[in-house]
Amino acid sequence: MAALPELDNERLVARLRDPATCRAAFGEMMRLYSEPLYRHIRRMVQSHEDTDDLLQNTFLKAWQNIDNFRGDARLSTWLYKIAINESLTHLEKERKRQGISLDDEESALINLIEADRNIDGDELALQLRKAIASLPEKQRLVFNMRYYDDMKYEKMSEILGTSVGALKASYHLAVKKIEQYFSTLD
Amino acid sequence: MNDILDKASRNDGFTVPEGYFEDFAARMEARLPRQEWEDAAEGKAAVVPRSWWQKVRPYVYMAAMFMGVWMMMHVFDLMRSSQGLGVENSAILADAIDNEQFMGEYLASQGLYEDDLLYDDLFNDGFTPASYTSDY
Repeated sequence: MAALPELDNERLVARLRDPATCRAAFGEMMRLYSEPLYRHIRRMVQSHEDTDDLLQNTFLKAWQNIDNFRGDARLSTWLYKIAINESLTHLEKERKRQGISLDDEESALINLIEADRNIDGDELALQLRKAIASLPEKQRLVFNMRYYDDMKYEKMSEILGTSVGALKASYHLAVKKIEQYFSTLD
Repeated sequence: MNDILDKASRNDGFTVPEGYFEDFAARMEARLPRQEWEDAAEGKAAVVPRSWWQKVRPYVYMAAMFMGVWMMMHVFDLMRSSQGLGVENSAILADAIDNEQFMGEYLASQGLYEDDLLYDDLFNDGFTPASYTSDY
């Protein structure tokens, strides 16, 4: 599974910060990061159509704020933050639109998973997605980043602004809950 | 649990429409709005035509400034008269000094008369209480 490429090399960042080469460099950046960001967003919102919209919004926001990107943070960290904000904002809007609480969001996401046409036939993967959908939002984020993206806790901490200790605890709890979910299937 | 996660091998089960990622970047590049700093970088800063007032305005402001300075100097000149202000060259001042009632009231209001001095002046003028008739 494609993890976020650590290609925050100085060359790309320098080209992004040069107005004369920024647009071309941004195109290169989109080609590098569209798939990992897509997968991250999709794991949160489930639907391909919603993911496509949010991915476009992520890059549009990044483009609009590119002259504010100082290169202090890594490019991937910056993009990830925007994508996460877009995903969480979308989920909140959907909850309000559907009139459901955070607790009810699990059912809504499972419905989306079951209705999703863009899935392969892997039953285990499907069940795991449903189990993850039952997690609280932030735990879901942490689990996805750790399990699917194989992200180090230190990087996660940069992106989410949470301590490494709290993230480790969150992942541990998430694993326990998923274990409970699978035990109810047996 | 680790068995399940290992078996799942980090496969999220998602598929995407064919060619999605290949098309995505091209679609997005067409959507990216033009930024002002791009025009500046290409030497195409937007030129807004100047109105008549914008062209003339600096000269009008300069003329107003010089007019103001001239007027201030003229006023200072008037205030600083070479003859000075004196009875000899001010008809109003001469008239006021000739007016005994005015001078009396003026000097009294300035506190220039102490009571004893006032009585001395009255005595010298031949005033006596008996001759005093109040007009008020």
